[in-house]
Amino acid sequence: MSILANKDTRVVIQGGAAGVNAARRMAEFCYLIKRPLNVEAFVYPPDAGKSNEVPYGSGLIAIPVYKTIAEATKNHPTINTSLVYIGADRAMKGGMEALDDTHIKVVTMITEGVPEKDAKILGAHARKLGKVFNGPSSIGIVSAGSCRLGVIGGAFDNLVLSKLYREGSFGVITKSGGLSNEIIWICSQFADGITTAIGIGGDAYPGTDYVSYLEMFENDPQTKAVVIVGEMGGDLEERAAEWYGAKKRRVKLMAVVSGFCQESLPKGMKFGHAGAKEGLKGEGSARSKSDALKKSGAIVPPTFGALGPAIKDVYQELLKTGQVKEPVEPAALPKLPKSIEAAMKADEVMVTPLIRTTISDDRGDEPCYDGYPASELINKGYEIPHVVGLLWDKRLISKQEAEIIKRIMMLSADHGPCVSGALGTIIAACAGIGLSQSVAAGLIMIGPRFGGAVTDAGRFFKHAVDNKMTVDEFLTYMKKNHGPVPGIGHRVKSLRNPDKRVKELVGYVKSLPIKTPCLDFALQVEQVTAAKKDNLILNVDGTMAAVLVDIGFPVDSLNGFFILSRTIGLIGHWVDQKRQGSRLIRLFDYLVNYAAPKRREVPPLK
Amino acid sequence: MAKVLEGPGMGLMKKWGIHVPHYAVVTSADELSKLGHVNDWMKQSQLVAKAHEALGSRFKLGLVKVGLDLTGAVAATKDMIGRQVGSIMVSQVIVSEMIAHKEEYYCAVKSTREGSEILVANCGGIEVESNWDRVKRLCLDVGQVPSHEALEKLAKEAGFTGALAKKMADFAGKMFSCFDSEDAQYLEVNPVVTRASDGELVALDAVTLLDGDAKFRHPDWNFAFAAEFGRAYSKQEEEVMAVDSKIKGSVKFIEIPGGDTAMLPAGGGASVYYSDAVVARGGKLANYAEYSGDPPDWAVEVLTEKVCSLPGIKNIIVGGAIANFTDVVKTFGGIINGFRKAKAEGKLKGVKIWVRRGGPREKEGLDAMRALKDEGFDINVFDRNTPLTDIVDKALQK
Repeated sequence: MSILANKDTRVVIQGGAAGVNAARRMAEFCYLIKRPLNVEAFVYPPDAGKSNEVPYGSGLIAIPVYKTIAEATKNHPTINTSLVYIGADRAMKGGMEALDDTHIKVVTMITEGVPEKDAKILGAHARKLGKVFNGPSSIGIVSAGSCRLGVIGGAFDNLVLSKLYREGSFGVITKSGGLSNEIIWICSQFADGITTAIGIGGDAYPGTDYVSYLEMFENDPQTKAVVIVGEMGGDLEERAAEWYGAKKRRVKLMAVVSGFCQESLPKGMKFGHAGAKEGLKGEGSARSKSDALKKSGAIVPPTFGALGPAIKDVYQELLKTGQVKEPVEPAALPKLPKSIEAAMKADEVMVTPLIRTTISDDRGDEPCYDGYPASELINKGYEIPHVVGLLWDKRLISKQEAEIIKRIMMLSADHGPCVSGALGTIIAACAGIGLSQSVAAGLIMIGPRFGGAVTDAGRFFKHAVDNKMTVDEFLTYMKKNHGPVPGIGHRVKSLRNPDKRVKELVGYVKSLPIKTPCLDFALQVEQVTAAKKDNLILNVDGTMAAVLVDIGFPVDSLNGFFILSRTIGLIGHWVDQKRQGSRLIRLFDYLVNYAAPKRREVPPLK
Repeated sequence: MAKVLEGPGMGLMKKWGIHVPHYAVVTSADELSKLGHVNDWMKQSQLVAKAHEALGSRFKLGLVKVGLDLTGAVAATKDMIGRQVGSIMVSQVIVSEMIAHKEEYYCAVKSTREGSEILVANCGGIEVESNWDRVKRLCLDVGQVPSHEALEKLAKEAGFTGALAKKMADFAGKMFSCFDSEDAQYLEVNPVVTRASDGELVALDAVTLLDGDAKFRHPDWNFAFAAEFGRAYSKQEEEVMAVDSKIKGSVKFIEIPGGDTAMLPAGGGASVYYSDAVVARGGKLANYAEYSGDPPDWAVEVLTEKVCSLPGIKNIIVGGAIANFTDVVKTFGGIINGFRKAKAEGKLKGVKIWVRRGGPREKEGLDAMRALKDEGFDINVFDRNTPLTDIVDKALQK
């Protein structure tokens, strides 16, 4: 058997992330002892209506989250225990809510730093209702082979090493979370293990005292001895001694008390738990507690290290008198499934990747672009065009090429508010749409009739150059197969009203000692087309395209230059409209040619 | 527990209707003389000047001066400010009016497991300690408010009679209100005196311990808590406290001058057992330290550096029980970094390091510690199979 927590314990956890973590640990224990998960619900108002996923073995269990304890117990009437993980400032309210629910008999508060007064009120309220309020600052409660509440017992390996998968004969009550595991481990190493271990909490006035648990252990026939881990401060150990000495008890009591060092340390030094403080005139000192326990007949080893052998002595005595039998270890225990990450680390599985990347990797302390750490690029003087080169063409471009790209981006960053892209963004901004969506509204305009001619222009100029076409051959080929030449022609610019940006870019590129076959070809095409009609000039798209092909960028990346640079302008337009507090746009009637039928009578419905 | 100095303690009592003498906390003699120009009581009353620091036996140290006029108080303040007592430098002086009185009484409220206890005695000052049986108590359950009848009965039991019994009952009631409303853990006024001028009971001194955990509901606690150690915190200690206030989990560090065994154990419970083991073996602790609740590695690293900087240490005890959720690899990573830094700075010469730990990822963590041997550390690493405090026995073996 066990006390407080057993196979019938059904739990609601009050709290967020820490509570979910506890549920995961509890699920590991349930998996080890081959029982269904004992957590039925969470109460955490911010997440009410959602569910938390808890791994159980290799599966996942969804545990619903409720706003109140009442909702949780209404939907899960088997709940009888609450674990409180909510913050110290709200812990009392949460604890009260749990205690006041008729379904709940045990409340264990894990929260640390709960005001003393709140803990006392909770403790008193629980006593009035005949319930158990354990904690605050409790590490939890574990009953070997049947139930774990909280993270007590530690990691899965430790649960196995400490034989918590099956019942032993020793009860444990501690104030310290870390030491609870230590004692459980000692009980499994020197004896047959534990029945129940309780973290009573390290505060000065925990909700429940040693005596209430000693009574419960006394009434649990499986428990043959109880180990108390005490500390200086308060009087819980003295009360335990009083209880033990009052009459003949069935359970053996063993105890260690910490704080002897205080006798030789400077006065007033406070350490360990909040409850570890000395009272007046040696009351509550480790020595007076130890003495009281010894006097009551409890076994009090001189040091913590001597506790193991003392437990061993008690266990051997129990064996000899036939009160306990040697435990039977199960033939096999469930193994906690490894996570994929752990299994891969141990070279146990191979996983076929879902996607493949060849350009970037951010798994280290900073992203690497095509293998080069971003900060190193910065510190060695590389600039944005080099990042474009690395991510779009997987090569470290030259300073000269970077300068060309920089100029292209600057020249095409914005073309005013009237072009389709900017207009799309402005309309969206005026409608109150957010930045990314508004910019996207502008970007989706980029296509064959707006900006998106760069890729096509590059592709056809390159085709012509690669195939050594003459201008006439090229124009004939285009007319026959594709229609107008992308990159040629402008809505407002013409020979008489030239585009300065094109002139600038061509002039700069031609001033460099590089070969520009595509650009040269495009300029020859312009001569022919512009002679036919004066606005069939080489436009910005076509110029960018030819130059970028000449410096080796892949044809498929070319529209990217337009998208990238134009994004700068589109963000500007969104911010501009936002800053002005622009109102919703409605197109004026006079800007629409209403070519729809005139008003007429609606015929009767047939 | 959080100790509050006399000034803010009296402020809290005043808030709850308890008569306290006029007082002012000053940081310089100049400040006091300026205050003297605008506060009549400073000119009209006899004054007391006390060093306003968490110091024991101030009387003996000459840090309490009584029966002064303003000029005398200014001179006393000038004399006290800047005085060095151990590690504490006196930076504040509390100047209060002397209350002419004949009788001295005692009143306190303390926290108990069930609720609280009101203590009253009709003797006060140092007399109360030698006459502890004259202190009468009223026990209250948490949530219970003492009735005036019960308080009067208490006062009468303590030997007060007539109108004075009523006044003492009223005083104790106000003490309880202050205690209960301010989340106090201990309030003591010794002595309570009858003010000759108007016959009111006045608190001449205040010992105030508040529940630091309740700070969240007391936005008016605008004072700093005092060291409970009877001395100021050292710079190293304050730096660790600053880290502690920023992290999940905790790191703690208290220096104990003159020791040679440095502590770097984990867990609030186990750390005390480690200290006990050192003392039981006749060792001299150089410090008290602990880290718990899975603190970040950098916080443990800071703690490690402080521990390694302790003068004259021979052993460092990196002890710990089997952790529930503190990641051994991560926290040991912090310790290892701290050790490396200390060694690079020329520390840890001739220092032996003793490690015992269990918990999540214990094997990897202990292996990482063991590997320090190859870097020239004198380190001895043990796992869960070595009983908790045995490394102390090994370290202190002669």
